[in-house]
Amino acid sequence: MSPVPLTKEPTILHPRPSSIVAALYTLRDLDVDVVILHGPPGCSFKHARLLEEDGLRVVTTALDESGFVFGGHEQLVNLLRQVIEMFNPKRIGIVGTCASMIIGEELHEAVLEVNPDMPVLEVEVHAGYPNNTKGVIITLESALAVGILSDEEFQRQKVLLKEATEVEKRHGAASKAYLEPSRGDTKYTVAKRIIQLLKEGKRCINIMNAKKETGYMFADINVAVNQAAWELGSTSEIINMANLDENMGLDRVRDHARNINRDLEVMGVEVNEIIGGLDEYPITGETVNRLLAEKYPDFDFAVITGVPHAISMDNMQGMEVISVTNGPRQVLPLKEMGHEFVVVEIDLHPKTLGVSNIIESEFGATLRQLVQEEKE
Amino acid sequence: MKQIAIYGKGGIGKSSTASNVAAACADEGYQVTIIGCDPKSDSSITLLGGHRIPTIMELMQQGMEITEDEVVFEGYKGVRCVEVGGPEPGIGCAGRGIIVAIKMLQKISTVMQDSDLIIYDVPGDIVCGGFAAPIRKGLVSETYVLTSGEYMPLYAANNICKGFARLGNPLSGVICNSRIVENEEDIVRAFADELGSELLAFIPKVDVVQTCERAGYSVIEKEPDCDISGVYRKLAKVIMERDTACEPKPLTDERLRELTG
Repeated sequence: MSPVPLTKEPTILHPRPSSIVAALYTLRDLDVDVVILHGPPGCSFKHARLLEEDGLRVVTTALDESGFVFGGHEQLVNLLRQVIEMFNPKRIGIVGTCASMIIGEELHEAVLEVNPDMPVLEVEVHAGYPNNTKGVIITLESALAVGILSDEEFQRQKVLLKEATEVEKRHGAASKAYLEPSRGDTKYTVAKRIIQLLKEGKRCINIMNAKKETGYMFADINVAVNQAAWELGSTSEIINMANLDENMGLDRVRDHARNINRDLEVMGVEVNEIIGGLDEYPITGETVNRLLAEKYPDFDFAVITGVPHAISMDNMQGMEVISVTNGPRQVLPLKEMGHEFVVVEIDLHPKTLGVSNIIESEFGATLRQLVQEEKE
Repeated sequence: MKQIAIYGKGGIGKSSTASNVAAACADEGYQVTIIGCDPKSDSSITLLGGHRIPTIMELMQQGMEITEDEVVFEGYKGVRCVEVGGPEPGIGCAGRGIIVAIKMLQKISTVMQDSDLIIYDVPGDIVCGGFAAPIRKGLVSETYVLTSGEYMPLYAANNICKGFARLGNPLSGVICNSRIVENEEDIVRAFADELGSELLAFIPKVDVVQTCERAGYSVIEKEPDCDISGVYRKLAKVIMERDTACEPKPLTDERLRELTG
């Protein structure tokens, strides 16, 4: 039998999220206290720093040229011992890097040598995988191996990750060889348009389809749409949909859903349809499609925040679609899907780390301000 | 199941020894797998009538979806042959190739579970972490060192034993592949003894091994009745029955020079 070529996928020229970083975020979601990055000091610096905002400590073996040549086993063993002494962690993660994996470092040897009392998740990962979801899967495999993740949840996560990869290939950052970053439409223009639609009494589907903690800020935009309608005395019917199922995903993800639902309730925003959990953003599109067909046909416009490209346009053909993303490379694919307006909430993710309440977005603030000006 | 690796200086005869041991064990009815870890990908060539097989790394490089029957080939008496492959000399990283290819093989094939004997034919000295991957990944249970009685091969063998000691990997024995050095068997026996190990076989240098290799065969297959085939059979039997190993105590360079002086 001759070898079968893989389906040829476009070579993606723009940098994309790294599997190492994906592993770091997954370890945070698994409530790991300290992560040792086994590699050079600068690897994943920005995200390692940001994750401290979420309570995760990230330290590095800081391999240098000597470490690359002579190996870093001793450094890893020493740091593992130091970390246990300094932080008294309940769970530790050790994450590989390109450098340490290329030179054949064995994370497990260090763990065997130190023999810690707490679970240590060994993640042999580098940034060379085409899809960063690989970093998540390797981390979850390790969590499964040390017994802090059930097989049922592992299988569920694998399905979601596979679909997340497909979403990116269909309409996301992996959909074209090169995607130029863009700031999209101005917040002023789009807020004005929403105000106009609300004043005309147009019926609105208001969807939040956010990825995990990003919901803390994306939810603010969906809240602002509701508040705008109230303030303007709009007769628009607004149906709120959100992936805020509190019974789905890892504990930390469920907590995010609970926190956001609590705030929405306080703000008086009713979620009419729960379309999945905060980690189910790649598969919520089907539910939205079904709901639109069965319960909400003939609406005039939609506001979609979070991962709007995961929601197909099948049942939104007659609607004016306004989407809010945090990916500057996402503007073109969303426009190509048929979205009239695309707003980019730049640097949204870092602002959502370490928070447990809905926080104000730029677009939400713009919309509120313009509504006030409209009233004056 | 025995999982062995034969280490030694480049060009000392590791592949010849590995393929003849594999063929001799296959003659005895064992299910044998040979995994060539050298980027030259010639470990199994004499078990396949001189034919080269596609390597795991070259198929991966081409973006192929690899299945077992594209990289595992049956050679002499059902010996299953796999070649890791790797970059041309001077570029890339052959060590990483071994790590990646072995992971891939574990994923797509059962040969690493259902063999009586797996032989890892590893390139030269353990010059990087990747070359030690079969040991460090726990895939090798027995390691052998191949050397002649010359200073440089002994120096390399001694260095390899330093690597074993560092990795906590026991040494199952020393094999001498003769380069026709005076008192060669005594020198290598003394070396093995001082390591705390044992000389398991002395393989004399005879032209027939090279002649068979040029034709694309092991001596076991092409010249089964010649004396050297008997030596390989004896070595194969020793390996299959071997159940002891030592933590090697590498010699000083001065002592090595004395031995070969």
